[in-house]
Amino acid sequence: GEDALLPAPQNISILSTNMKHFLSWSPVIVQGETVRYSVEFQGEYERDYANESWIPICECSLITATVCNITEDISATVAYNLRVRADVGTRRSEWGTLKGFFNRITTSLTPPLMKVIADGCHLLVELEDMGPAFQFCVLYWKKGQESRQKVVKDASSVVHLDTMEAGPDYCVKAQTYVEAINRSSSFSQTQCVGAQGGTSMWLV
Amino acid sequence: WGLRVLCCSLPNPRNVHFESINMKNVLHWSAPEGTGHGVLYKVKYLVYGVGKWIRKPECRNINRTWCDLSSETSDYEEQYYASVKAFLNGMCSDWIETTRFNPLTDTKIDPPMVSVSSTEKSISIILTAPEKWKKSPEEESVSLLQVYPGLQYNVSVLNKKTKKRWWFSISNTTLVVPWLEPGTAYCVSAQIHVTTPLLHSGFSKEYCIATLKGMSDEAMT
Amino acid sequence: RCRVSMSMTEIRLGFTAIKASIVSIQARDPIKTLSILSHPQSLHKVKSSDRCCITHHLFNFYVDKVFKHCKTEDSYINRKISSIANSFLSMKKKLRQCHEQNKCMCGEESTEKFKQILANYEGLNVTSAAIKSLGELDILLDWMEKSQRAEHV
Repeated sequence: GEDALLPAPQNISILSTNMKHFLSWSPVIVQGETVRYSVEFQGEYERDYANESWIPICECSLITATVCNITEDISATVAYNLRVRADVGTRRSEWGTLKGFFNRITTSLTPPLMKVIADGCHLLVELEDMGPAFQFCVLYWKKGQESRQKVVKDASSVVHLDTMEAGPDYCVKAQTYVEAINRSSSFSQTQCVGAQGGTSMWLV
Repeated sequence: WGLRVLCCSLPNPRNVHFESINMKNVLHWSAPEGTGHGVLYKVKYLVYGVGKWIRKPECRNINRTWCDLSSETSDYEEQYYASVKAFLNGMCSDWIETTRFNPLTDTKIDPPMVSVSSTEKSISIILTAPEKWKKSPEEESVSLLQVYPGLQYNVSVLNKKTKKRWWFSISNTTLVVPWLEPGTAYCVSAQIHVTTPLLHSGFSKEYCIATLKGMSDEAMT
Repeated sequence: RCRVSMSMTEIRLGFTAIKASIVSIQARDPIKTLSILSHPQSLHKVKSSDRCCITHHLFNFYVDKVFKHCKTEDSYINRKISSIANSFLSMKKKLRQCHEQNKCMCGEESTEKFKQILANYEGLNVTSAAIKSLGELDILLDWMEKSQRAEHV
């Protein structure tokens, strides 16, 4: 009936990839009603030094979606608590809390999308822009020789790596590095090109 | 006993703020609303955390709406406030203050100076960071590289024939791009980038240069 | 030597946001003629051997004393303060490990200097002192970055 207690949201989970963190939960079903949700977070600081206070995420206050982008608020490498509650009209549920803490150090880091370009005898690489938290470690080598490394901080453009001699192939692979959590992704697939005209070569 | 009592009912100067480029720190403001000509101004400044406001004599009873406080705010390990008061026909405004000014983080940086030279198959690029403002030409120059040691240059090289643009990110001041096409025009532009505090200049204008014609090209002409 | 990786960028971004907000954190501090961190003594005069100890003291100071008294009516500022506070806590824990391994020793001068900072802080009422300290975060960050670069030279 009208006064039946509104159930708290269930199946609360986090999806965190490449330092983008999303909280999601199962919808609370109330026939013929629009259910709205509100999200709050609590960092280790709030737990240990601020009377276990919780902080609302205003972008996720009284929303109808069952997912919330919490990236901007999870901006320290400490353990966070997260909780969600439901509202229907004047009725309000208890808080549903994420089981266990979330620390961004556990985010999954995927290898960067990379395009290797041979422009004449110049070896270039174009990397996916993954946001300010990311740097790229690019390894490149002439086949059969030692690899060399270049750190790329600004990925939004075609970066010059080196010049190539005509003949042998030159290979490139890259990984991301996130200084804030001091972790790297695995390497991308290796791509090799040879010095020639202006077209780029893909490893098939 | 003709003490003229200044009645502070003049509207206040507006938008009092520092405009800073390469730590040349100039106080700017707009005239009080509705006042035409004849308004005069006084300026004072304060080193944050130090007990007293200091008048700027060169900006006493001025009718312009700016005052160069570069000399007074040249220590970028300090932070500052400045304040302006307007006078007109025996009336005056309140003192209107800036927000707290931190020369290190609140200055804008000019693009680097770029000089390019070329050979048959390469171009050489020399970059020079702008200098910090200084009191007089005789004073020793301080490069912004010394103020922001983490300073880097983003360099763009455009092949005018293929229209392809390459990017280089370097910390030292010289870049040689080898193995280029002879007799081809390349245009170079550069930007300064500081990671913390986060600052970056605009891009310099483009400097174009052509690689020398190859020996074979010479023989054919 | 105490080697702690500190990502200053995010703290800088957090502070820039609360400095640039409509009612800036610094505008909430009306006392311009007093400073917690920069006068009468300046952080920039700290000897290199004392840097680690002063940094450790200051992180404890901000986490233990300052942030909890900085709640505002602006939820955006409160979220940014939480972000900075949790970053400070993360670094405070790293520095504590150094301290426990005797790599972050406190000399007489740094202890004296930190006492001066505490005296400045306690010279004001709690909320004013906390808001002033928060508004001076860039003084701390400027000094730390300069010190970090001096370490690499």
